[in-house]
Amino acid sequence: MTSPITAQHPASAGKRGRKQIGLAFIAPFGLLFMLVFIVPIFYAGYLSLFQQKLIGGNTFTGLANYTKLFHDAQFWDGVGRVFSFTLVQVPVMLILAMVLALALDSRRLHGTRFMRVSIFLPYAVPAVVSTLMWGFMLGVKYGLLGSLNDALGTDLDPFTPSTTLISIGVMVTWAFTGFNMLIFYAVLKAVPRELYEAAALDGANEFQVVLRIKLPALRQSLVIAIIFSIIGTFQIFSEPQILPSMVANSGITTHYTPNLYAYNLAFTGSQQGYAAALALVMAAITIAVAYAVQIRGLRNAFDH
Amino acid sequence: MRLRKQAKLLSAALGLTLVLGACSSGSSDSGDKQVKLTVWSWDDTVAKAVPGFEAANPNIKVKVVNAGSSFDEYTALDNAIQAGSGVPDLAMFEYFAVPYFAIPGKLDNLGEFGVDKLKKDYVDAAWNDVTVDGKVYALPSDYGPSVMFYNQATLKKAGLKEAPATWDEYYQDAKKVRALGGDHYIAQDTGDLFFLLSLIWQAGGRPFKVNGTKVHIDFSEPGTTKAVAFWQKMLDEHLLNTKVTAWSDDWNRTLNDGTLASQIMGGWLTASLPQRAPKAAGDFRVALMPQWQKGDKVGAENGGSGFGIPAAAPHKDAAFKFLEYFTHGGGLSPRVDAGAFVPNTSVLASTDSQSKVNKYFGDQKVGPVLAEASKSVARGWQFPPFFEWARSTYGDLVSKYYTTGKGSLAGILEEWKQRMIKYGNEQGFEVD
Amino acid sequence: MPSITSTGAESGEAHVATSGSSTGHSRDRRPRYTVENPKKSVTLTVMTGLSALYCLLPLVWLVINATKTQADFVSSFGFAPGHRFALWDNIVEVFRYQDGIFSRWLLNTVIYVVVGAVVSTFLAALGGYALAKLQFSGKRVFLFVILGSIAVPGIALAIPQFLLFAHLGITNTPWAVLIPSFINPFGLYLMWVYTADAVPTDLLDAAKVDGAGEFRTFVQIALPLLAPASVTVLLFSFVSIWNNYFLPLIMLKDPNWYPLTIGLNEWNKLGSTAGNGALIQNLVITAALLTVVPLIIAFLSLQRYWQSGVSLGAVKG
Repeated sequence: MTSPITAQHPASAGKRGRKQIGLAFIAPFGLLFMLVFIVPIFYAGYLSLFQQKLIGGNTFTGLANYTKLFHDAQFWDGVGRVFSFTLVQVPVMLILAMVLALALDSRRLHGTRFMRVSIFLPYAVPAVVSTLMWGFMLGVKYGLLGSLNDALGTDLDPFTPSTTLISIGVMVTWAFTGFNMLIFYAVLKAVPRELYEAAALDGANEFQVVLRIKLPALRQSLVIAIIFSIIGTFQIFSEPQILPSMVANSGITTHYTPNLYAYNLAFTGSQQGYAAALALVMAAITIAVAYAVQIRGLRNAFDH
Repeated sequence: MRLRKQAKLLSAALGLTLVLGACSSGSSDSGDKQVKLTVWSWDDTVAKAVPGFEAANPNIKVKVVNAGSSFDEYTALDNAIQAGSGVPDLAMFEYFAVPYFAIPGKLDNLGEFGVDKLKKDYVDAAWNDVTVDGKVYALPSDYGPSVMFYNQATLKKAGLKEAPATWDEYYQDAKKVRALGGDHYIAQDTGDLFFLLSLIWQAGGRPFKVNGTKVHIDFSEPGTTKAVAFWQKMLDEHLLNTKVTAWSDDWNRTLNDGTLASQIMGGWLTASLPQRAPKAAGDFRVALMPQWQKGDKVGAENGGSGFGIPAAAPHKDAAFKFLEYFTHGGGLSPRVDAGAFVPNTSVLASTDSQSKVNKYFGDQKVGPVLAEASKSVARGWQFPPFFEWARSTYGDLVSKYYTTGKGSLAGILEEWKQRMIKYGNEQGFEVD
Repeated sequence: MPSITSTGAESGEAHVATSGSSTGHSRDRRPRYTVENPKKSVTLTVMTGLSALYCLLPLVWLVINATKTQADFVSSFGFAPGHRFALWDNIVEVFRYQDGIFSRWLLNTVIYVVVGAVVSTFLAALGGYALAKLQFSGKRVFLFVILGSIAVPGIALAIPQFLLFAHLGITNTPWAVLIPSFINPFGLYLMWVYTADAVPTDLLDAAKVDGAGEFRTFVQIALPLLAPASVTVLLFSFVSIWNNYFLPLIMLKDPNWYPLTIGLNEWNKLGSTAGNGALIQNLVITAALLTVVPLIIAFLSLQRYWQSGVSLGAVKG
């Protein structure tokens, strides 16, 4: 709508014209964004005010779905699980990614290129395929872990209710460490190498270089990585959705994670309104957490 | 200038997307004479009936689409119905899903098409599966009489000459198989609801009584308690492999290496067992389910499905024509040739099915066993109209029991009942 | 190894300080190792190598098992070869199974990826440029909404998106997959941050003084400068569309429009859910390998470009 109007003004029509030009540039993205994000979110908000019944159809129930949600132990069970998962998985993955990036950047590795590519490859593997592979890797009976158990005489089982979350962590870490590593590595490579040489002349050892130059250089990208990792782990869905078909009694329930719960409510439970309420509350929680983490990073970037 | 061009281009592109989209979804209604049917099926054999049907009905074109298996398809159908577009003319339903779609009026009553006269051509229990409140909502297309697949070589190793004919023998044999050590078990179970229900079904329990939107749930009938107590004993004495879940890769491998001595499952497993356990070729045999009384012949179902016409389907007459053709008429034989196991009495009694030997099953005549099992399925079983939800909830409950060992199957069933009552009433049913 | 000695010999003298002066670092005793070329560490290599092993092992499994027949797959150990090397047979069968629908899925995926990635990158560049260099009201709100949207779970959007698209009549058409893929909020963010940094405002002003319109300035001046970031965004979009699962699962019901991930999952489900589906794990695994390979090739061949993009985006973020 805005674009044809702006197009009639020459580019140099002063401040007002420039203002509209900006809108014209953002319009294609903005319009599609409305269609794909904003309208569906409002629609979800609308749906969340109704209760769907198999018999009797839709009834307007106001905020009843939200009230019910706040008393729903299954929902909070999932939220708690996702929080504790995030608290462990994100630091482990990001620290691993940082250590690997530092190792690659240290130039002390044989086959740096091979390592970098290998560690990054899992990012390119679709979840469907990766679950297939990990099902075998962690298989107790015929899988690699089963053979390991036989060889060592151990009895490790990665898919009991108390260990399943760890296994999911192993799978998620596998998929995304390389991606984060590559970002950190790219940042490190952008640090002018003269800085290192200057530090070396000043008598700093490598550990000090890491501490004083490299880690501070990573700070900004770390904030971004943390935010995206948190968002990612909060939305964890594919792994717990696919795993139960491969392993028995892993402890994965229909409400294992909030996303899985929403999906099951909407699609097996015919409770779309309730599912919509759940998804919106979850989105609000995620945004709140992400915002708490990113508030400084975002401000800096904006003022920049 | 350029900006305007660009803006025009973008809006044109956006407009085009909508127009194109509208075209491709609207095309199904076009044409007065030519009818284009869309059939949702995850059963490959349905497509085998299409060429014959199209030859006989030149004005109908049939497109068979795999819109996902089971749950995925029901979701898609629900979505399509809600959205009011993309509803197929025919869709596949497992028997337990028929009430879910029939009771809220999402499926057409096939009585309008005069299906009642077809009743005699199907196994009784299969007809019962597609009947809700006395009305028929689907035609049975494949069948799952519960039978026992057993590995003769493994039983022999355990010192057993014959397959167990009663549950008592089954229990004794289980101990002997277990005595082989290692991973040898008579069966696996990781909380398979359909198996437990088939056990209850055979023992005479009828836990769900459905009458319109009224559902009564009761796990305290003698038949139910007998079956549950028996399986509880098997679990308590660690006679079952609770680590290997059906349909997983591990399961294929236990079937393949002979450590799993038997598997009680729908008869349709006959077709895919050779792929799952190629190494065990010649070792497996098929028998009726073990009986509660020696000499009885009482069976149950595990799986099976039919096809119905959604109330929102665009071409109902043509849809029924094809439905009748591939489940009852000329389309049956190409499907059977392709491996479909159907509950049509004519097929079960055919000389071909009665006399063909199956090489994989050590040249056993498998057909007569399956026909016998089909005919002996006990009557009167019903599924509640919210079974899809109920079974996923059962999964939540039972997995806790199988992993911690705390509680009992009977306790799980009671808890399950309470959840169903709560959910069912919330959904507008009257459940007690 | 040879490079260590040669470059070390040349530049060693200038950097003696590296090792000699610090006691905590006395392992490098010889002066020819420099900051630019330190001594290779076996310990560090082994430890990084373990991580690489962790990452590669599942892929090794994939490759090995793509060479097996179905019978060998269910009866042999995962890291052992089968009785028969069946990779070529499997590949041929993958392209033949169900009337060759795999090649259709491959084509669909390529279309979704190419169109989706190119359009989303262009829109992100356009929008990022506007955010960084042009004035318009409501910018702060706009940004906040876009960034907030990244945190909205896909599931929350899926149901309403589906219903909306169904009203527009575009479910079960490629548009249902393409249109959402045109929007890449993270890409927009990256482009904005990158543009702010890499495109000098003076240059733009100069172009405008010379009479170039806004759009021409963008295309001729800004876009070339944005190339590294564009490649990055392009690759992010490429991966996310290539691996997209949930959206097409809900939107598409016609196998002729499936992307690879959905088709692959359908094949896998045939044999791994209760029922009588064909057990074709050998084809599933071979198809999975064929699905992963193009992505890996894309990464390896483009990594030079996109690393520079990532670094700038990340440094400034």
